[in-house]
Amino acid sequence: MTIVSLQFWAFVGVVAGIYTILALGLQVQFGFTGLLNFGHAAFMAVGAYTMAILVVKTGWPLWAASLAAIAVAMAFGLLLGLPTLRLRADYLAITTIAFAEIVRYVAINEQGLTGGPVGTIALAGPGEAASYNREWLDFQGSVQDRLESVLGDDATRDVTMLILVWIVALVLLVLVEAAVRTPWGRVLKSIREDEDAAAALGKNVFAYKLQALTIGAALAAIAGLFFAFQFSFFSPGDFDPLVTFFAYTIVILGGTARNWAVPVGAVVFGVIFAGTRFFDFAPFSLLESGERAYVRLIVIGLVLIGLILFRPQGLLGRRDEMVLE
Amino acid sequence: MSLLHVYDVVKRFGGLAAVDGAHLEVEERSITALIGPNGAGKTTLFNLISGFVRPDRGSVRLGEVRIDARPPHAVNRCGLVRTFQTPRALTRMSVLENVLLAAPDQSGERLWRLVASPRAVRRREREVEDEARELLRLVRLESHAHDYAGTLSGGERKLLEFARALMTAPRIVLLDEPMAGVNPTLALQLLDHMRTLREERGLTFLLIDHDLEAVMSVSDRVVVMNEGRVIAAGTPDEVRADPLVVDAYLGTHGRAAD
Amino acid sequence: MTELLQLGANGLVTGSIIAIGAVGVSLVYGILRIVNFAHGDYLVFGAYVALAVNVGWNGHIVLAAIAAIAATAVLAVGLEFTLWRPLRRKGAGLFSLFIAAIGLALVLRHVVFLVGEARPRRYDVDVFQVHELGGVRLSQSQLIAVAIAFAAIVLVGLMLARTGLGKAMRALSDNRSLAAVAGIDVDRTVGLTWMLAGGLAGIAGLLQALILNAFTPNFGFLLLLPIFAAVVLGGIGSAYGALVGGVALGLAMEVSTWDALAGGAPAVYKPVVAFGVLIVVLLLRPQGVFGKARVL
Repeated sequence: MTIVSLQFWAFVGVVAGIYTILALGLQVQFGFTGLLNFGHAAFMAVGAYTMAILVVKTGWPLWAASLAAIAVAMAFGLLLGLPTLRLRADYLAITTIAFAEIVRYVAINEQGLTGGPVGTIALAGPGEAASYNREWLDFQGSVQDRLESVLGDDATRDVTMLILVWIVALVLLVLVEAAVRTPWGRVLKSIREDEDAAAALGKNVFAYKLQALTIGAALAAIAGLFFAFQFSFFSPGDFDPLVTFFAYTIVILGGTARNWAVPVGAVVFGVIFAGTRFFDFAPFSLLESGERAYVRLIVIGLVLIGLILFRPQGLLGRRDEMVLE
Repeated sequence: MSLLHVYDVVKRFGGLAAVDGAHLEVEERSITALIGPNGAGKTTLFNLISGFVRPDRGSVRLGEVRIDARPPHAVNRCGLVRTFQTPRALTRMSVLENVLLAAPDQSGERLWRLVASPRAVRRREREVEDEARELLRLVRLESHAHDYAGTLSGGERKLLEFARALMTAPRIVLLDEPMAGVNPTLALQLLDHMRTLREERGLTFLLIDHDLEAVMSVSDRVVVMNEGRVIAAGTPDEVRADPLVVDAYLGTHGRAAD
Repeated sequence: MTELLQLGANGLVTGSIIAIGAVGVSLVYGILRIVNFAHGDYLVFGAYVALAVNVGWNGHIVLAAIAAIAATAVLAVGLEFTLWRPLRRKGAGLFSLFIAAIGLALVLRHVVFLVGEARPRRYDVDVFQVHELGGVRLSQSQLIAVAIAFAAIVLVGLMLARTGLGKAMRALSDNRSLAAVAGIDVDRTVGLTWMLAGGLAGIAGLLQALILNAFTPNFGFLLLLPIFAAVVLGGIGSAYGALVGGVALGLAMEVSTWDALAGGAPAVYKPVVAFGVLIVVLLLRPQGVFGKARVL
């Protein structure tokens, strides 16, 4: 693969699209409502796993299983939110990360339910490779056929997915943007700014936090579904806490509380993440590919720290807004 | 007739009783001042009345409704609004948005209503905006309507909170040091507005302030707290003459507090 | 019964390591209001410094331990100057501090991965020597870990109670501006707090690596949540609470696997027990089991 390969960048674009949806959920929770949810990856996992389990084990049609997956992720959001959303911000952060780790441990250790550490390939039991996305591949194939008449040979699987995932991402983006501009969104922002003031003005802070958490969970589940569709099989390791931190990086990179900054952040993140594969000059050429993966994560960490220190408003945010905090 | 009844309210933090059996009545359509030395329990009493802190004992009623077991937002919906000693401007929202937020009965604060009846939401939003701009004119902040509230000075934030409180269409307004940091001319106007609002809308005010002269001049009644209890209540003249009050507060700390 | 004793002994080992990790987190939180997400990776840093000395240069394990303590203390103080202090000067809020800590955790861990390699590593010590005490079997490394950890706990406890520095730390975490007015040198105390937290992280990292026998740079994050759980259990900001909370949590994690407890939890769920304790404590008693509403 070369740096100019369309196929490679189509793949980067797919990942950026999935991360856009994931980070959009975090934008609702953290950017607009001020909830420090550090368990976001768990909602993504719940979405992906619910879908895969329903398709493989109970033979549900894919669309029904996908809707159920979103509903189950939202139910997890309620389950997590009901006891914890009254806690202070720092305690909420710690509880959500603990919740995400519990989800991941269950996914690793309950092999009968999830396929265990090897992932969904083992969902159907030993000796049989399970697959949940045949229906998706059929659908994607039919879209690809139509695209071929326009794009010719460039209409590959990844290009098709790129278009599909970004259509969904942009629709969700428009919906979220419309929602936060309403009086409802105004209440969310007031909670982020000062929840006591919001309560003194008659707003049921807890109910709104719960809504924000649940909606964010639904968005994470949708991201999880596309992740599952794209990669055909997945394992608990795909929902490492790092995934949540990546979503934070995207939100902060673009600009907190700015929806249109999310796809920008996701694309820049995708380029940083994928682009470091092309560090084939010294001293990076001395490193093996595994070691370059560490360099990539170090770069992400430095980007986070650098943003907080020097550009807390992100690429698209306004400086004057940050000094008001 | 009294609108707010506080009966035998006690609140302890650790071993310390911040409020220790306070009784208080606030007449409907009155302006009542709550005064007392620092640490007397005035702000804690506000927190107890507005639902931010639950009393260990005693009751708080607004009209016929008991409000002491309700959370703050529910207390507000009963018609009681409070401001804070350190103003709580929502800094990364515009001044106008701060006031709009406070509007009651905005069905657009519910997601499903936004989908089901967007027109009703827009219509209400227009009404609310007119009202909000009116209130901003009242406190002389209309030129800042589209600035971030975080750019306002301390005194301006107090005024914003005052406007925001009125926006909730309350029956009673609890003001915690509303004039602190506000320029003196504007502070006097604020007191005038309180009197006008009482006449025109039948509002009731309960306020804490350290500017005793101003407070005495505007209030119908004065309630004095010391060490968690109400030690005196009456007209400004009666309270001035009360030896207990002079002893606890006016004689020793009164001037120094200004 | 022997089984319970054995589990209890294992719990003491795990718990005392968690405890010395937790003291640092709690002190830093109490004084600076930073929830240091990177603390687990401070532990990892210490463990790999010790590895370099012990395996790389054939140094004795005691020498390795001293190097781990010193290097991690230097790291923690260095980061105070290059990261935390500039952030505070800029008036960074809770959110910003959180995010910065996450960035730092990513950098530290993967630098260690890069330099220390991803394959499981072990120290050059005799791991097969086993001691038997009243029916309870403890490996050499477990014994060393529990002895050193207890010594550290006692020393830290004494330091906080008796020394001027300990008093300054407690005063600072009670009320920062008041402490400054009372003549406490805030910057100096903050620096020394980081030094203490770092040094303790270094030793905790070494000990954890020692009892894990073979370890990778990921152990820091795995231990971070039990450490947070201990901090919360003891009352966030309370150093004594963190010590007690750590030991209690270690015991709870091990004893949860006891057969007599409805068959016992599967061993793989030991960390989940810690998270469960964390969540339950936060819900029922956010000030911590041992903490009063006050700090320390």
